[in-house]
Amino acid sequence: MKGDKYQHITDQELLEKFYADHKNEWLGILLQRYTLLLLGVSMKYLKNEEQAKDSVQQIFLKVIQELHKYKVEYFKSWLYMVAKNHCLMKLRESNGKSTVEVNDNITNKADEEADRQVLLQNDHTLDLLELSLKELNPEQQQCVTLFYLQKKSYQEVSDETGFTMLQVKSYIQNGKRNLRILIEKKQEEEKNNK
Amino acid sequence: MSENYKDILSNLSTSVDQETLLLYLQGKLSEDKKHEIEKQLLQTEFDEEAMDGLQEFKDKEQLQYMVEMLNRDLKKKTEKKKRRREKMNIKDQPWLYVSILILIIILALSYIFIRRMLTNE
Repeated sequence: MKGDKYQHITDQELLEKFYADHKNEWLGILLQRYTLLLLGVSMKYLKNEEQAKDSVQQIFLKVIQELHKYKVEYFKSWLYMVAKNHCLMKLRESNGKSTVEVNDNITNKADEEADRQVLLQNDHTLDLLELSLKELNPEQQQCVTLFYLQKKSYQEVSDETGFTMLQVKSYIQNGKRNLRILIEKKQEEEKNNK
Repeated sequence: MSENYKDILSNLSTSVDQETLLLYLQGKLSEDKKHEIEKQLLQTEFDEEAMDGLQEFKDKEQLQYMVEMLNRDLKKKTEKKKRRREKMNIKDQPWLYVSILILIIILALSYIFIRRMLTNE
């Protein structure tokens, strides 16, 4: 992991190099950047260290095969989708139950994100955010405030509130999602009132 | 303060490098640094889910070894393919096709010659 001499090259540039000469070596360099994340995602779904390791190797192979077939633009989002689908398939095989395949429209997601970032530049959105924060349930409000506004780590938030680390994380993640929903709702209402 | 509010809504991907992530998981970072990493890991679903999974590994010190093993295996796979292709490229050399063609012509001529000899006899 140490001394990656390709650190200065972006994922996109590595992909372009691969598409130019079709040498798997480029994919090796690119995928190595995500080994730990893939191990984490596999563990999250499969709940078994050995199976998670095997899953990462299988995801590597799948990615190498797929990238020879078609062009990918947003590598990280695409890789996440491949990894998640692989894990869901493994779970389906072991449980004999059907699972829904994730097939996000990555291009649209990227566009939506660009729109969101433009929205952020808008001071009015920040006013709405401040208002929405007060509408969260007390636990989420407390954790989001301590984490984002007072810049405390999960551990410090946990020490201060008495919640477990897992609870803190969950309150922050859900609080963040709820804030987005509340803001979007408020913006929608404003549009309708105009 | 408004910058802090922006952090809540931001979803721009700013990847945390694996070494820093390992240090975080092993509890070897300061509280300030921890907060920075945690904030960045909330930016995408990929990072969020990976973090949830990584926390479930019993021995966090072993993670680095696992990653190194997986990377070594990946490197072998990607290099092997490259060598195989290089071998194929050698076969793709034009002189090889010319030699095969010449050999076929010689064989055909020999066949015709022998056949004529036998017919004349």
